[in-house]
Amino acid sequence: MLADDMACNARNEYPAQVFNNENHKLNLYGDNVEVDYRGYEVTVENFLRVLTGRHENAVPRSKRLLSDEGSHILLYMTGHGGDEFLKFQDAEELQSHDLADAVKQMKEKRRFKELMIMVDTCQAATLFNQLQSPGVLAIGSSLKGENSYSHHLDSDVGVSVVDRFTYYTLAFFERLNIYDNASLNSLFRSYDPKLLMSTAYYRTDLYQPHLAEVPVTNFFGSVMETIHTDSVYKAFSSKTSNNKINSEMPVNQLSEHDELQKANIPNDELKTEKQKCPYTQMRVDLHEKLEKFENVDTVVNLGIAVMVFVVMISSSLL
Amino acid sequence: MASLIRSWIPLLILQSFLVAIAFGSKEAEEFSEALLLKPLPDRKVLAHFHFENRAPPSNSHGRHHHLFPKAISQLVQKFRVKEMELSFTQGRWNHEHWGGFDPLSSMNAKPVGVELWAVFDVPQSQVDTSWKNLTHALSGLFCASINFLESSTSYAAPTWGFGTNSDKLRYGSLPREAVCTENLTPWLKLLPCRDKDGISALMNRPSVYRGFYHSQRLHLSTVESGQEGLGSGIVLEQTLTVVLQPETTSVETNMQPSWSLSSLFGRKVVGSCVLAKSSNVYLQLEGRLGHESKNVDTEIEAHKLWKNADFDLSLKPDRVLRESSSLLFIFDIDKSSDSEPFDLGLTWKLPSKWSCQQAPLQATRFLMGSGNERGAIAILLKATESQEKLPGRVVTDGRCTIKANIFQIFPWYVKVYYHTLQIFVDQQQKTDCEVLKKINVSPSTDKVSSGMLEMMLELPCEVKSAAISIEYDKGFLHIDEYPPDANQGFDIPSALISFPSHHASLDFQEELSKSPLLSSFKEKSLVRSYTEVLLVPLTTPDFSMPYNVITITCTIFALYFGSLLNVLRRRIGEEERFLKSQGKKTFGLKQLLSRLTAKIRGRPIEPPSSDSPAAQSSFLSSKLIFKIILVAGAAAAWQYFSTDN
Repeated sequence: MLADDMACNARNEYPAQVFNNENHKLNLYGDNVEVDYRGYEVTVENFLRVLTGRHENAVPRSKRLLSDEGSHILLYMTGHGGDEFLKFQDAEELQSHDLADAVKQMKEKRRFKELMIMVDTCQAATLFNQLQSPGVLAIGSSLKGENSYSHHLDSDVGVSVVDRFTYYTLAFFERLNIYDNASLNSLFRSYDPKLLMSTAYYRTDLYQPHLAEVPVTNFFGSVMETIHTDSVYKAFSSKTSNNKINSEMPVNQLSEHDELQKANIPNDELKTEKQKCPYTQMRVDLHEKLEKFENVDTVVNLGIAVMVFVVMISSSLL
Repeated sequence: MASLIRSWIPLLILQSFLVAIAFGSKEAEEFSEALLLKPLPDRKVLAHFHFENRAPPSNSHGRHHHLFPKAISQLVQKFRVKEMELSFTQGRWNHEHWGGFDPLSSMNAKPVGVELWAVFDVPQSQVDTSWKNLTHALSGLFCASINFLESSTSYAAPTWGFGTNSDKLRYGSLPREAVCTENLTPWLKLLPCRDKDGISALMNRPSVYRGFYHSQRLHLSTVESGQEGLGSGIVLEQTLTVVLQPETTSVETNMQPSWSLSSLFGRKVVGSCVLAKSSNVYLQLEGRLGHESKNVDTEIEAHKLWKNADFDLSLKPDRVLRESSSLLFIFDIDKSSDSEPFDLGLTWKLPSKWSCQQAPLQATRFLMGSGNERGAIAILLKATESQEKLPGRVVTDGRCTIKANIFQIFPWYVKVYYHTLQIFVDQQQKTDCEVLKKINVSPSTDKVSSGMLEMMLELPCEVKSAAISIEYDKGFLHIDEYPPDANQGFDIPSALISFPSHHASLDFQEELSKSPLLSSFKEKSLVRSYTEVLLVPLTTPDFSMPYNVITITCTIFALYFGSLLNVLRRRIGEEERFLKSQGKKTFGLKQLLSRLTAKIRGRPIEPPSSDSPAAQSSFLSSKLIFKIILVAGAAAAWQYFSTDN
């Protein structure tokens, strides 16, 4: 839902392009963007209709949410806001109890499994004060009484191009690569109140799973570029990828390290416990040996060859 | 044996019959793409992308499509659309410099914003419902707010003024709709090669939207097959017209800028779309006189056509066609590939000037009057210099006349008084019967439907200017009906001026089956031009008044009920009496206790402190008086010091 047409605005020096940084490296308004509600259609009524699914019959499918009880929904809202409200089109407001009611209806109708609300406005955390439905995770860029600020001004375009909270969220995601298994905890802990000039507050009392176990890809997706290559597909193990994490992210590394340690401990326990039973011990040893191999394919091939050999011998014997 | 043969013969006959049917009625889907480049006289370049997709009748071919977009065929089947055109435009077509008489400008010079018209094949009572559902489906398909056209206040049912004569035609226009990448993306997804291959790969979004005028148009029509029961085929024509200004490094201002495909779009054509039947690039140059009589076939002459003293083309054209004063170079891009990209460039060597042929009359529209109560709308038709040279002048009763159709829609809040219609020819007012031959008026109903006006004027051929004016009153809207930016004003959609006696066509004398673009140019299309969109400021209410009213009302209620309750229920001195009664109650207990303690300690019984409340009240009142004196003193000091300045 975009209320204003920014990319093709007559005042935009760079038509059909929206940047999030002064260096103009990344064009957010790519070639395949689709906007379902824009202009005068962005109203509180349409927003609540999309959430609750109460549309007229003629509304086409691309304008409906079409979620079911297994869906993970990401709801990101930005603009001007205040104590328990968010401004729409400079003419009306979305209030926190309206949002809470809509989420409650969604929960009753089983329209989501997990919902993540991200709000980047002044006093954003007040917008989800009234939420009560389980399965909802919410983060706001500032507390009550605090303002949220923009990051920097692009003197070429003439406006501030990105807000601080959004800038640091995007920076977090730009640091990840395809093999990183970053968790929501690492995302939420990456916000520094001194850099944001406000406190990014999140509430997890309605959300059952531990944030450290929830990967960010549960809610966030990315644009994947497919490049055709003629080389053979190779499987990557997770151990090599951990080394690629930069030291700029000590928090992330710590959490990853913790995860590794936690993962290692049950294995040791398994080892010491099962020493008594030789069969399971053999299985565990074999499993560990297999895990150590870089190229599982050759082992499997070898195994098949050995099996064929054994079958031949046995059939010749019989 | 004979019986076997006899049983075989009918089988053979049946088989050959079936085979004949299969081959005879086999029509495949066809897709062709073309790009027309045309330098314009005011140092700009016009690029016109043309994609045509044909689907054979569904009953013979089944519902399987491999080239034709299924979304469109489902739209046609569900809403029984016979013909439809949807265009998204930004910018204004400059008729003076870019022409108004050729088929390109007649078909592609569209009004700003979204324009949709459709002819349905349903019973008359269901046309409005089909229109409403069609607008919603299109808004979902093209990411635009076309669903605003569903309400009866925004569309009209033109009859003869629009050019298509049908009573199941509906027309609507949204002048304020933005056009951006999100509208081009689904439009491109209807093409078989999308924007990955072929000519559509040239469409660099920043280049397209940087243009002075860009208009994407989708026109679909059903083609009745001759045979009964076979359904109808669909022809889908998608065009994108962009007017760009190439960057010039030359200092001379009277020389046309040189350009190439890579300088205009930042990309080159690498290969054609493999699914396209034909894939061509055309370059049309106007005003090329002087080579007419020479034979084009000789090698040297042909070479001179594309490399001569005036200009140079960077690539050799495959064919050259000519038509009265324009030259057409045809390039086939099937041969281009990754290693040999197709990058056509035009370099001007000498300054050259030409002019594009214009429509007989140039139309502008403007508002008159001031204030928020009433105004007038005026349409001015001015003769252009190419008027004398145009074909199609009708001679009736010994006089030569030009026919002009005017079609306008007025929203309901522009309440037009049709009896105030005045027509001026060459600045003299004419009575209506002389000039106005046919008129069809559909008055508006407040908040229900918009008004429509169709006029046919017959003007003398030598006319220099003609003006039509009509007065209106501004209506009042309900507070809910105002858009968020109400102070900008409200739009009156463009008027359409068409010349029914003039038909524009470009005939290049070429075998037409190969090129859909040229065959569409050859068809005689009505010369039409759209006027500007008018912005009418309406009276806006004070949007903060509801808040003010609620605040004042609540304050009054609070004061009234508060004072009423105070008067009825408040007792003065209630607190002292309450304390006294409390004191009396505890008096007994306290007295007992003190007595007990006194007895234990052996001290005399002390009387209860009964004068404390009195002391308290006097203390209270003295405190109160002190506070009042303090506040009064502060107010006096404030007054003194503020008036001092």
